Amino acid sequence: MSLPALSLYVFLFLVPVLNNLRYALTKWDGIEEPVFVGLDNFKKLATDDDLATKVLGNNIEFMFWVVIFQTGFALLFATYLVRNTRTTLFFRTLFFFPTILSSVSVAMIWLFLYDPNYGAINTTFKKIGLDSFALNWLGSEDSALYAIIFVQVWFHTGQMMVIYIAGLQQIPAELYEAANVDGASRWQQFKSVTWPMALPTSAVVVAYTTIQSFRAFDLVYATTQGGPNNETSILTTMIFQTAFNEFRFGYAASQSIIMVIMIFLITGLQKRILRTRY
Amino acid sequence: MIYKVSRWLGLTIFSLLIIIPTAIVVLGTFKTDLEIYDSPMALPLNWTLDNYRRLLDDGEILTNFKNSIFVTSLSVLITLILASMVSFAIARMMNVTGKVLFVLFSLGLAIPGQVNIIPIYLLFNDLGLTNTYHGLIAVNVVATLPISVFILTSFFKEIPNEMYEVASIDGATHFKVYRSIALPLSKPALGATSIFLFVICWNDLLFPLLLITESAKKTLPLALLDYRGEYATSFSMIFTAVLVASIPMVIMYLAMQKSFVAGLTAGAVKG
Amino acid sequence: MKTKGSNSFSVRRISAAAAIAFALVATLLPSATAAGEVFGKACKEEGANTGTSSTSLVCKEDSKGKLTWQRVRLGSAYGAPVAALRAPKGSIEFHHWRGAEDGKVFDQIIALFEERNPGAKIKQVTMPSGDYTNLGYSKIRTNNKAAVFATFRGSQFVQFAKGDMMTNLSAERFTRQNVIATGLTAGQYEGKQLGIPLHYLFNNPVYNTEIFAKEKWDLPKNFTGLLAWCKTAKSAGYTPLAWSGGFRPNAGQMLNSMLMNSAPDYATLQKRIEDIDTGKADLQSAWFKDMAGRYKKMADAGCFPENATGVTDAAAINLFATGKSPVIPTGSFQMGAIKTVNPAMTGKMQLFSLITTDEKPQYVGIQNNTFILSVNKNASATDQKIARAFISFMVTGEIASIYANGTSQHVNVLNATYTNQDLVNTSVWQSKKTLLAPRFLWLNQGVRDLMEDALIAIVGGKPIDATLEDYSKQIKQKLG
Repeated sequence: MSLPALSLYVFLFLVPVLNNLRYALTKWDGIEEPVFVGLDNFKKLATDDDLATKVLGNNIEFMFWVVIFQTGFALLFATYLVRNTRTTLFFRTLFFFPTILSSVSVAMIWLFLYDPNYGAINTTFKKIGLDSFALNWLGSEDSALYAIIFVQVWFHTGQMMVIYIAGLQQIPAELYEAANVDGASRWQQFKSVTWPMALPTSAVVVAYTTIQSFRAFDLVYATTQGGPNNETSILTTMIFQTAFNEFRFGYAASQSIIMVIMIFLITGLQKRILRTRY
Repeated sequence: MIYKVSRWLGLTIFSLLIIIPTAIVVLGTFKTDLEIYDSPMALPLNWTLDNYRRLLDDGEILTNFKNSIFVTSLSVLITLILASMVSFAIARMMNVTGKVLFVLFSLGLAIPGQVNIIPIYLLFNDLGLTNTYHGLIAVNVVATLPISVFILTSFFKEIPNEMYEVASIDGATHFKVYRSIALPLSKPALGATSIFLFVICWNDLLFPLLLITESAKKTLPLALLDYRGEYATSFSMIFTAVLVASIPMVIMYLAMQKSFVAGLTAGAVKG
Repeated sequence: MKTKGSNSFSVRRISAAAAIAFALVATLLPSATAAGEVFGKACKEEGANTGTSSTSLVCKEDSKGKLTWQRVRLGSAYGAPVAALRAPKGSIEFHHWRGAEDGKVFDQIIALFEERNPGAKIKQVTMPSGDYTNLGYSKIRTNNKAAVFATFRGSQFVQFAKGDMMTNLSAERFTRQNVIATGLTAGQYEGKQLGIPLHYLFNNPVYNTEIFAKEKWDLPKNFTGLLAWCKTAKSAGYTPLAWSGGFRPNAGQMLNSMLMNSAPDYATLQKRIEDIDTGKADLQSAWFKDMAGRYKKMADAGCFPENATGVTDAAAINLFATGKSPVIPTGSFQMGAIKTVNPAMTGKMQLFSLITTDEKPQYVGIQNNTFILSVNKNASATDQKIARAFISFMVTGEIASIYANGTSQHVNVLNATYTNQDLVNTSVWQSKKTLLAPRFLWLNQGVRDLMEDALIAIVGGKPIDATLEDYSKQIKQKLG
């Protein structure tokens, strides 16, 4: 019964993964015969490719802030909206809404909002006299990555919030009641009940957000394509560029391998930090 | 008090962050380019349907729409069938084979499909599968199989063993048990998963970008990129296209909110 | 009558020789039009014209270097243009990147083609330009049905040539007799004509004639004049150059003008660019540093928009189309998009010489011949025949005119008649001293991107030396 799925999966997932390993050991422009170069690609990646180092750094920075803010806001809004009332339902529906849009649509919307001279953000800032807040959002190396991080958080916080709500609603009410009897403040309640009880959910949210931020290809490709000065390049956009723009398939394959290793390292680390399995 | 103020402040700010861009897009579809730039948030001076007319006259967007529906529905359907069969097998086989299968598919959860763009692309080139729907569908299916297997396996495991055993005693084959017992019982799980998959496939850009070049075969997200063409950029048209491309999702979302939320979170929670 | 006739004859003969260089023939207009606008009489404003019909007059330099009213019409150096070849039955695909811009016009042209060649079918397959650059080669290489396709001049064309993907069109009569000879270079590789460049673009800035007249500005004639003009325009409340630093493909168009007078001669320029492209020299070379310094000086003089590095292509077009900016430093190819945003811009656009030297400029503008049409060598013999017939069809005056006027593009085709006001206004530039866009001499896309990013960063305020050093290192690693 598992044969159809398994064969497709092996053929289009496992075999390609192995092929990636094979290509990573070659120099290949995709046209002529690949040349076996051993570990040269990895050596170059590690020692003589500032761009790759930068992109890896971008990706980690991107992931780090997205995980912090997305998880933080999701948990915050979840505690605000945990009870089922008409109002909370309305907010949940609204906050969840961006999740159903495509990355390309989201990119188009924010490309317009971020425009330094015409965008709604800067025109608003200028109207209320806060000219110094009117940044060159996607155009400046200092702000571009953060501008995209903001969009990513805007995009997916609602989804994570709903996961948290599901998790929080399973916390037995007695625990809160007990805390209430003790006269705990809201903050103490959060610290002693909500946070520890939501830890398993947090593990899920963090893991999912991490993978999601490695998958942010669509958003970056449709907004900045990695610019300015590769400040917003992430691993996937770099791999795409190396392979299909510069025709260095072997090198791009080795970059893919590095990406897999990165993901394993980071998710492993997170598991240790959150001390739980999901 | 502080809690109440911060609560309403937080909720209001985030609401505005979602409502305002949405309003700009929706209003923008009724404006000219010049108006969008001059006063993005104002109501249109003259409500015009020109953008919609132009978009529909081009005819392309309807084609892209059809393509998206076709590719997405088939991808979801096939994934569901294949994944439910595997998951059933895994859930029923508590032996080594089951575990190995499970680990194999879990691997796909940890390694995002993006990693494979190069080998997939080269393979599809050799097989002549670029620019074909079945190629794109096959990639979609493989990309979403692991997560579906994950969700469905945990669901099948929750079905009490006795229910299966009764059927087995009656001499039913594995497949029969799967079809007549497991599937009907897991309708809600299948529903939730299908919505999850639907959103993923409908919105995906990477694989269509990699595999589809013919305009007549493009899906919506890919077609949206066209509107950002190098030489002619018009935000009124872009917004109109964005709106049209999002409408099915929005309608589905408003109509089936609960299953939507359940589906999109099941994917995360179980995964 | 007699004098006019002989005059026309001599002009014709001189131009026939000049045609090898410019393929331009100025012919006699039988009768005068409005007052003062008389064939052969002196005129003031170059590019001024009396209308858009085939009998309109255009003000242009004559053989003696004086501005006179003339009729500009393209003629051939080798003989009269030939009719299109016949296509056999069959169906092929036509791959290109201008679906969003030209798709409709091509539909119309293909319908005509199919009507005149019963049984032959052509299907358009398009991708946006960015994706076409990235994926075009890999996709066409594996698709034998893609019998006719377009390539960008420069790296992409060379890539296809190296991959031995294109048949030789050198011997075709339509190559020699239907196309502007100087516009063919872009489709040549190792002495073979592997493609026919369809576009004849001007990749130098476009200016708003109305604003220049209203503000009584003279066109700047040299670099000092340019900087001074930027200051004047800026203090009058304009954004002098609507430069889209946030969108590399268009921001880089200005590079052509920046390069055109930067070397003593074309060969030197070519050599310098090749050296950077292949890693023999880096961005810290004296000449490149000097050019980067000119970008910096222009930035300091206020030539560029605020937050220049974040200005997208859409924003730049809008700046220009709404009259907030008098000059857009991209090229004639954007006139269509500008008119889409603001139809009132029709007839108010003219090409602008961006001169970055204070000496006598060698070139006053940039031409580019791209959208190179080729026949796929891997296609079947029949499909190749259909493809060849289609290209020959595209380069007939009739069809090229439909294409040109429908898309606001100048074409590289003789006997094309422009009825589009802005094409007529600027067509005089087809006879000026223009340089084939040097930007595309960079064949390594990765190197070119980094080089252009460096210049964008410098306009954005980064220090010149450190930036050039940083990017030189990145280029070195990319090439290594």
